[in-house]
Amino acid sequence: MAGRQIDPDRLPHGTYLNTGQNAMQGLKVNRLCYDLRKQSERDAFLADPEARMQHYELAEADRELIRVRDWLGLVKRGANVFPLLRLSQLCGDGLAGTGAQMRGQTLEQYLATRQASGK
Amino acid sequence: MARIIGGMGSPHAPSIGALIDAGDWDSPEWKTLMDGYRPMQDWLAHHKPDIAILIYNDHVTSFFFDRYPTFALSVAAEHPIADEGFGPRPLPPVRGDWHFAWHLAHSLVEDEFDLTICQDMPLDHGALTPISALWPDHSKGWPTAIVPIAVNVLQFPVPTPRRLFRLGKALRRAVESYPEDKKVVILGTGGLSHQLHGERFGFKNPEWDHEFLSLLERDPESLASLRTQDYIERGGAEGAEVVMWLAMRGALSDNIRKLHVNYHGPLHTGFAQILLEEIGA
Repeated sequence: MAGRQIDPDRLPHGTYLNTGQNAMQGLKVNRLCYDLRKQSERDAFLADPEARMQHYELAEADRELIRVRDWLGLVKRGANVFPLLRLSQLCGDGLAGTGAQMRGQTLEQYLATRQASGK
Repeated sequence: MARIIGGMGSPHAPSIGALIDAGDWDSPEWKTLMDGYRPMQDWLAHHKPDIAILIYNDHVTSFFFDRYPTFALSVAAEHPIADEGFGPRPLPPVRGDWHFAWHLAHSLVEDEFDLTICQDMPLDHGALTPISALWPDHSKGWPTAIVPIAVNVLQFPVPTPRRLFRLGKALRRAVESYPEDKKVVILGTGGLSHQLHGERFGFKNPEWDHEFLSLLERDPESLASLRTQDYIERGGAEGAEVVMWLAMRGALSDNIRKLHVNYHGPLHTGFAQILLEEIGA
């Protein structure tokens, strides 16, 4: 994965690039999230998340991370933030809430670091 | 002959589209940002470009990682409004210019930019946010034809900063070899500094953003010489999408004047707008 443009071992702390093994490992979770563009898929996930995770053949590790809404854990396993936001928002965490959790903060703690209310 | 009359940079965050759809141009927290569009709207209304080439990225809406193009050009006569998962925005389908776009395809591929040619490429917020902000009155249809080029900035390896700068230069050759008399504007979108994933979520760097805006105008070569890693370190991993502004700048000559620049970044992202006009055109 190393090249002249990226030093994978010297990325800023808390940065995970979509590439190589992570990109391949994340494909199934990303596909589930990608399909949440459709209302029918959102309805199906909310009605029976286990059945949808089975349908997409997710690894058990990913299923557990989704059950406990561990967005950072999913990113670390290769989920890309843009499709992932469809899932986190469907589960009730907005962009700021999703981000706060990834920082290890509450929504209020994160917003206190900002210069706007985020409302 | 077609000619480029100017270039613009704009953010493409969906939150801006939401403000526009709500008619909320004067929200206190975002007024500085939204007012930043007005000089650009006025310039477009005055100069009435025929075509806008839009450099943007799709957010895993029209393309999925199972097969992911590095560059994709829509040659469609009309671009659908994508549903990203919250229903499509209340916008009319976006008018393209298939004749010009096919010319662009031939010229770019002959210039060794081997793009994916798309005949059905619904546009997501990466494209719709800037155009709905720049042309807020589309009640009688979009006044300027939009020719979108989607760039992979999500799955690495992404094209290098210099590659985007060269894409701009190839776009200029393509425009100037188009036989019809058309006025063209180039739109670079995204940024500026932000990171939306990992423990580094919320990273912003206004100092770098201002340096970027300054270098973009007077020394874009130095920006093209940076590595992707430099952009990630200075402007955040998602902020590295600002290389799309280099394609806009690469399409312009050095005989330009900066008519407008604006910066506002109170929440997750350092937002900026810029308007660069060709003096000779």
